[in-house]
Amino acid sequence: MKDSDVIVLEEPKLSLTDQFYLPQVLVGLGTTMKHMFNVVVRGKDRVVQYPEEKREGLPVEKGGLLLRTYRGVHRLNKDEEGRVKCVACFMCSTACPASCIHIEAAESPWPDREKYPAKFDIDELRCIYCGMCEEACPVDAIELTHLYDIIGLTRQEMIFDKTKLLEIFDQTVKEEPM
Amino acid sequence: MPKITVDGKLIECKDRQVVLQACLDAGHPLPYYCYHPGLSIPASCRICLVEVEGIPKLVPSCQTVVRDGMVVHSRSPKAVANQKLVMEYLLINHPLDCPICDQAGECTLQDYSYQYGRSQSRFEEDKAKKPKKDVGDKILLYSDRCIMCTRCVRFTREISGTGELYVDGRGYREEIDIFPGKPCNNKLAGNVVDLCPVGALLDKDFLFKQRVWLLTRTESISPVDSGGENIYLEHNEGIVYRIKPRENPQVNQWWISDDTRYSYKVLTEAKRLKKAMVLRSGGAAEAEADAAVAAAVARLRALAAESPGCLYAVLSPMMACEEAFLLASAIRAIDSQAVLVLGPVPTSGKDEVFKNPITGQQTFVIKAEKVPNAAGVRRVLALLGGRAATWDDLAAAARPEVKNLKGGWIVGGYHSNWISGEIPAIIKSGFKVVQDLLPTPLGAAADVLLPAAAWAEKDGCWENYAGQIQPFEAAVPPPEGVMRDGQIYLSLLDRRGQYNAQLVRREMGEPFASVQATSRLVQSPATEFVPL
Repeated sequence: MKDSDVIVLEEPKLSLTDQFYLPQVLVGLGTTMKHMFNVVVRGKDRVVQYPEEKREGLPVEKGGLLLRTYRGVHRLNKDEEGRVKCVACFMCSTACPASCIHIEAAESPWPDREKYPAKFDIDELRCIYCGMCEEACPVDAIELTHLYDIIGLTRQEMIFDKTKLLEIFDQTVKEEPM
Repeated sequence: MPKITVDGKLIECKDRQVVLQACLDAGHPLPYYCYHPGLSIPASCRICLVEVEGIPKLVPSCQTVVRDGMVVHSRSPKAVANQKLVMEYLLINHPLDCPICDQAGECTLQDYSYQYGRSQSRFEEDKAKKPKKDVGDKILLYSDRCIMCTRCVRFTREISGTGELYVDGRGYREEIDIFPGKPCNNKLAGNVVDLCPVGALLDKDFLFKQRVWLLTRTESISPVDSGGENIYLEHNEGIVYRIKPRENPQVNQWWISDDTRYSYKVLTEAKRLKKAMVLRSGGAAEAEADAAVAAAVARLRALAAESPGCLYAVLSPMMACEEAFLLASAIRAIDSQAVLVLGPVPTSGKDEVFKNPITGQQTFVIKAEKVPNAAGVRRVLALLGGRAATWDDLAAAARPEVKNLKGGWIVGGYHSNWISGEIPAIIKSGFKVVQDLLPTPLGAAADVLLPAAAWAEKDGCWENYAGQIQPFEAAVPPPEGVMRDGQIYLSLLDRRGQYNAQLVRREMGEPFASVQATSRLVQSPATEFVPL
């Protein structure tokens, strides 16, 4: 590195009004008042009152949420017979950049299928909701739903197992068919 | 030495070598399925066909012997057209169930489809469905994935000499099968799974356990007999999932026995010792490993001070040479007259010899000596000299050296119960530190019992029956609470630092000093896309 590459920054000099502080406090208060006027009197720039009010109800140009493209919590799809569609190929866990999918494969109990996941855990806290798992899946078994309001009181609760992920399928299949 | 030109590259070959092998040796990839350097050459898969100048038709490179000045084209339009056709033909009835196939990731059908194939299928008719068959206690055959390279059939005919597998039918009905009631259960049967270039023959033991791309390979040596078969331990996140053969023309060629293949099971054996135990009044109590070692050393020192020459160390033929050397030096440091004893060397009678029934040539030997390092421990004993004995001497208590023994350090580490019959009286009456992998009657009677690390959990070297000293490396960590044996011996010698097998070997001098572990991780080269 050369000396010419180094940029030396000087502390900016305070003007007289800056040095008195009070005028600057009033300027700041002015900004607050301007926004209060906009919200209370003109009815603009309003904050969404979550959870009473939700963004998906609003038009997108007014800050609404487009659920169609939203990537929320995962679900495991079921086939026509209600069995888990996943074939435990490990593609999702291999593609996962956050390593949050843990699968244990086993021989399937059904005659027409070879392999199925005996265990399928997703750590929803570790997940970054990138959707790579969805893209990697060769049988469209894993999908991201539009559910975003998942809660849990412990970290353990937020590791969703196969049963929970299949439950989410039942919960969301009407609104979001496969 | 004939020289040939392949795709404009000059390649030096050995006499009577085939073109394919010459290219592979020179690092010039050619596709092949049915060819295997250890088996006969049927030239049946046809994907290795190349153009040779002066011959109007394509010739199979796996069967064509090199001739000086030969000019070969493997990427000419004619050769490439053949590669694409063969790939398309092989994939006509292939189920394309890669997501659930255990071979995915190490499947040459996948690799070549990517490198030489076309991305779309023109076959619109229904694919022929063939059954899944149980061809042996350890082997499953998925007939519809099979590409009929017949490597497995040739293996059972030429290497194991048992001939269980055969080709049934002709044309699209062709299938690999076994004769009724004659499953493929010979002692080398697992090799057919390794030979299968696709996912047709699979190991029941590994079925669905892991995807192969998650596994890491570590070079190791077989622990089950004195043959010293070279293996890869394939593991992920501290668990060994399978063992695969490592090619070594001087030792095991391309094959391993099934005993070696499934020897990793001892690592996760439920009965394995994991806690150090110290005998106190009122029975054995669990202790921390380092506290147990300290207690053992204090007692041994006291005994040695009382009557010099009353200590012994039983060096198990399961130990690495470095460990045997360190323990022997440690016990001699406590008592310079200590007796070094070679542990029991179990044998199964006679070597099992496999022959090619046609040529009568010997193809593989499973050694009768069921421990990997009896020769190495003997060499260490000779290196150190001084008073030495064998386990039988201890048991008989006949020789003067073993008459007045009062305390000792006994290493087991065998993969099964190694105490046959009674515990020798001289051991039973004295103070004994026992270091072992599995619980034995001797361990139950020990004053201090230390859990041992298995071979896959430590570095070292073993000498096989033929005097070849081969290094192996730690693939997985030992179970929690288990100290690596070498580390314990270093603490006995009051030496600081981590146990480093290479440094100990240097200290031991030749022939050990020149033994070099090649690398910690062996990555197979990524397959490259061949531009057309």
